[in-house]
This record gives sequence, structure tokens and C-alpha cells, in this order.
Amino acid sequence: MKQKAGTKKKKPFTRRDAALLSMVSISVIFLALFAYLPMFGIVLAFKDGDYKLNILDAILDAPWVGFDNFGSFLRDPNFLRVIRNTVCLNLLMLAIDFPMPIIFALLLNEVRIKPFRKSVQTIANLPHFISWIIFGGIVIALTDQSTGIMNPILEAFGLSSKENPVNLMDAQYFWVVIILTSIVKNTGWGSIVYLAAISSVDTTLYEAATIDGATRLQKAWYVTLPSIAPTITVFFLLNVSRLLSNSFDQFYAMQNVNNLEMSEVIATYSYKMGISQRRYSYTAALSFFNSIISVVLLLSANFISKKLTDRGIFG
Amino acid sequence: MPLAREADPKTEKPKKEKLHKMHRVGGWDIVIMIVLAVFALLTLYPFWYVIIGSFNEGQDYAFGSVWIIPRVFTLGNYVVVVKDQRLWYSLRNTVIITALVTLLSLTFTSLVAYAMSRRELRFKKFFQVFNLFTMFFGGGLIPYFLVIVMLGLYNNFLVYIVPSCYSVYNMIVISSFFRGIPEELRESMLLDGAGEYRIWFTIYLPLSTPVLATVGLWVATGAWNSYFTTMMYTMGQKELMTLQFFLMKLIKEANISTSDVSGDLLNQITPQTVSFAAMVLASIPIVMVYPFIQKYFSKGIMIGALKG
Repeated sequence: MKQKAGTKKKKPFTRRDAALLSMVSISVIFLALFAYLPMFGIVLAFKDGDYKLNILDAILDAPWVGFDNFGSFLRDPNFLRVIRNTVCLNLLMLAIDFPMPIIFALLLNEVRIKPFRKSVQTIANLPHFISWIIFGGIVIALTDQSTGIMNPILEAFGLSSKENPVNLMDAQYFWVVIILTSIVKNTGWGSIVYLAAISSVDTTLYEAATIDGATRLQKAWYVTLPSIAPTITVFFLLNVSRLLSNSFDQFYAMQNVNNLEMSEVIATYSYKMGISQRRYSYTAALSFFNSIISVVLLLSANFISKKLTDRGIFG
Repeated sequence: MPLAREADPKTEKPKKEKLHKMHRVGGWDIVIMIVLAVFALLTLYPFWYVIIGSFNEGQDYAFGSVWIIPRVFTLGNYVVVVKDQRLWYSLRNTVIITALVTLLSLTFTSLVAYAMSRRELRFKKFFQVFNLFTMFFGGGLIPYFLVIVMLGLYNNFLVYIVPSCYSVYNMIVISSFFRGIPEELRESMLLDGAGEYRIWFTIYLPLSTPVLATVGLWVATGAWNSYFTTMMYTMGQKELMTLQFFLMKLIKEANISTSDVSGDLLNQITPQTVSFAAMVLASIPIVMVYPFIQKYFSKGIMIGALKG
């Protein structure tokens, strides 16, 4: 190492520097256009641009209204329902869906027959590569009251009947459907990082544990789990920061007019308000509010984690 | 410096199975394997359900109980889908989009990743912050829509391509992989007087197959499976339609095209079974590809995910 960071000496600007700068400028161009330029559009949130024919009119001609738009969605009973769905579902998914890939990885790690492990993994990855629109379509077909297989199964358990079949696409079951479909679609894929982390655990730890007479369960609990804790922390924090976001594709695919009460989340609501109904300012205010909360959530989750475990997202 | 820090996953992957092999298969193994097998079957069954449905006559399917194998076999559903002009438009568009986006995105993203992995990059701190900030804060849906309209990308084929050419997250993943590549290789090229672009192309890209394959598959899957862009930024006419948007029309709106279909055939099909056939056709390409790229996943993702 010729020079140390911190004691930078001025070096002549070479062609090499120019080449590297030209490479990195690609990111500047794309981000300036598609990430930073939209940030100026946030001014829409402070204007009265709803229902304008053209979104350009909304930003250029509309009068300033201060924080009125924020007030109007915070007072909107629809919005409060949307917030409830978004936050509660995300918390439930954090509690139920988040541990699944970890459990799956731990189980898979215990399997000694390699072909079996490989096949299970390949199958578990499959749903990740199928679009939500297809996956949602399949779920709708499976749960169909007259042709699907879900009702006969529920009947077998006494949870449904021929005369009065359960419609899983109804509002009251929607959250269950979301949680279960997310498990099927994401468990295998999500486990890849944990499997990778497990495979780099120091093997001498296992040997020592074996000598001490640890059972397999004890080894998983006292050796494997603590070793992959940093990875778990990072993904947990990232998930906390997404408390207000959902996969638009997933929700839109399975929404219908009957379940909107429980299925409308910020992602789909913004689309309907902003694009379908052209309430540009209302939606801009809502997204801005959403972004701010997400950043605050991320930073505080990171802060708390650093206090508790000395680990944050940023290392 | 970066060498020692980043080289872990490849070098320290000793045979951990050695320890396991000495045991014989016991009760626990059976339990675990049964649990996993049940999970695999539950995962697989929905896809099987759609496949058999797509080969079953529509009218007959409506009676229910088509759960294990087709009851009244027909290829009619596929015939109807294949005769739908929208399938071919959307397939053509989706293939072009997926190919272009994957190629361009890997090129641009890995170029930035290369520059960002170099210690001597000028203003590196600034570029890092400039990139990272966008991961945590954005303008939101409507301001983004506004920019798309302003740039003339609305209802324009380029809206599928241009905004997807670069991704910060993927850049971080590729960049941390690049940092693990031994510096000596680069230095030997420097002696030959090679420029940065040549080093990127002849050393870094070939040595990064795992991460490029992984990220490439992410990008390709995203492009192949997206319908949001079509919904948001186009008017959904058939010339700009994508495969998943077409499927959405079939699934959510039961919007099948029967203009070229004979009455005889029409009696055998329903929108439901036709949509099954379309789902199967649309999934084949990705399902054929991913098992082969799978072997790179853990190598490719791990580094990025853990450091990212």
C-alpha cells in the first residue's frame, strides 16, 4: 500500500482516473434522471394538483396549498383502513413469514442425503420464479368455491361444508391467504443467504460441540444459530424498514371488490388514487409521508440494533 | 487490504459434511426429511393443478374435482391461447425487453461496480452517498410517473428498457464480488498497458460468472414477470403489451379472444382453462433456465447480501 487513507496527497489526474470517472458517471446519469429528478416532484404534495387533466399541469399551474393534502389523507377513513392493513399485515409477516427461511435452512442443513437436499431446494425455489399474477391466479383457482381443491380439504377437517363453502378470497380470510402464499413463494428463495451463511460456519465449533456431547438440536441452537445471527439481523432490519411497503404485484393479483376492506394496502391504494383517479397531489403527499416514515423506521431499527447487539445494517 | 477482508466464501469452504457422514441415518433424519418432503409437495402441487387444468376441457373442469390428472383431455385451451394475437405481441415484447434489459443492466451496473470497487476512484465517498441515498429515499409513485411523462417515455417502448438499465442494489452485490478478485491479476494487465475498460472486460467479467449469472437471473426474472410497468406507463394496447399483463387480462378480467376460434372448439373451453394454458406457456422459459443457474446462487448472492 503506497498511501494510507486520511493522508491523501494530491496525485496528478491521469487517463485512468478519467476512465474510472466515466464508468461511475453512468450511475450518476441514471440516478439523476430516475431517482433524484422525481424527488423534485415531491412539490406536488404541497400543491392542489388533483384531477388535473395532465400531470404536467398539476406541477406547473396548480396553486400552493401547504400541508392540506397531508391533512386530507390523514382524515380519510379509507386511508386509515389502508394503513391498518399495511402495518398489521407486515407485522404479522415479520412474525410468521420472516423466520420460515431460517427454519427451512436449518432443516435443510441437517439433511445428509445430497440428492434429496438438492431436489427440495430446487422445488422450493420454483415459486420465486413464477410471477405473482400467475401465482395469484393459481391460488384463486385452488380456492374457487365450486372447482377448487381447497374446500374439499377444509370439509375433511370440518371447517367448511358443501352447502356453505368457504370463499378464501373473501375479506375475512385475505390476510391468511397473503401470509400463506408469501411463505410458499419466499421461503426457499429467502433461505439461500442463510444456507450460504451456515456453510461458512467454522467446522471446529461443531467438532468441539460433538466432543462435549451436544445433540443435533443443541448444535443447531447453540452453534449454527448464533453464527448466522448477523445475517438474520441485517435481513430483519431491512424488513422492519419495509413496514409500510408491500409487493404491489402480490396484492393486486389477489384483490377483488369483495376483499378490498382487508386487502387494500398503501402500494395498491396509491396506484388507484394516483393513476386511476388522477389525484396526483393526494398521492404524492401520501408517498412522501410513507418515505419519511420508512427512513425513520430504518434508522431507528438500525440504532436500536446497534445498541443491543453492536450490529447494524451498515456493519 | 480488501483481499484479506473479502476473500472468505471461496477459500474457506472446507468439507463440513465429513463430520456428518460418520453418522448413520436416524429417527431425526426421517422426521426432517418428511417435513421437507411435505413442504416440497405443497409447493409443487399448485403448479401441477394448473398444468392438469390446462389440458382439461373447460366445460368439464367447471364441474370440479379435476385434481390429480386431466379428466377430459384436450389441447383446445392451448389452441385458443396460441391463436390469440395478443400472445404473440406480448411474447415478442417480453423477449426483447428481457434480453435487452439483462444485457444492458449487467453491462452498465458492472461498469459502475468496477469503478466503485477501485480504491483510487476520485470522489469515491461522494459517489457512494449519491448511490446509497436512493436506496432509502425516493420521490414516490406520482413524482416518478411525472418524470416518465416529462422524458417522453410514457406509452413508449423505451419505458421498459431505459429505467431498468442500472440498479444500485445489484451494483453493490457485483462490486463486493469484484473486491474479492486478486489484485495481482490486474497488476499484470497494467504492465501490459491495458486501460480500465479492458481490464474490466478481460479480467473482471470472466472471473465473475457466479455473481453475473445470479444478478442476470434476478434482472431477467424481474423483466419477464413484470406487469406493473405496462399498467402504469402504457395504455395497454397490444403493441406494447407484455406477457404478464396479457395474463392479467386473462386471469382477472377473463378477457379471452375468441374471434379466430371455431364454434366447435369454443364449446370445449372456458376463460378459466384458457388462462391456465397461458400461465403454463408463460412460465416455461424461466422454469427451464433457473435450475441451471441455481448452482451459482449461494456463491453469487452471499457476498453481496452479507456485505450489502
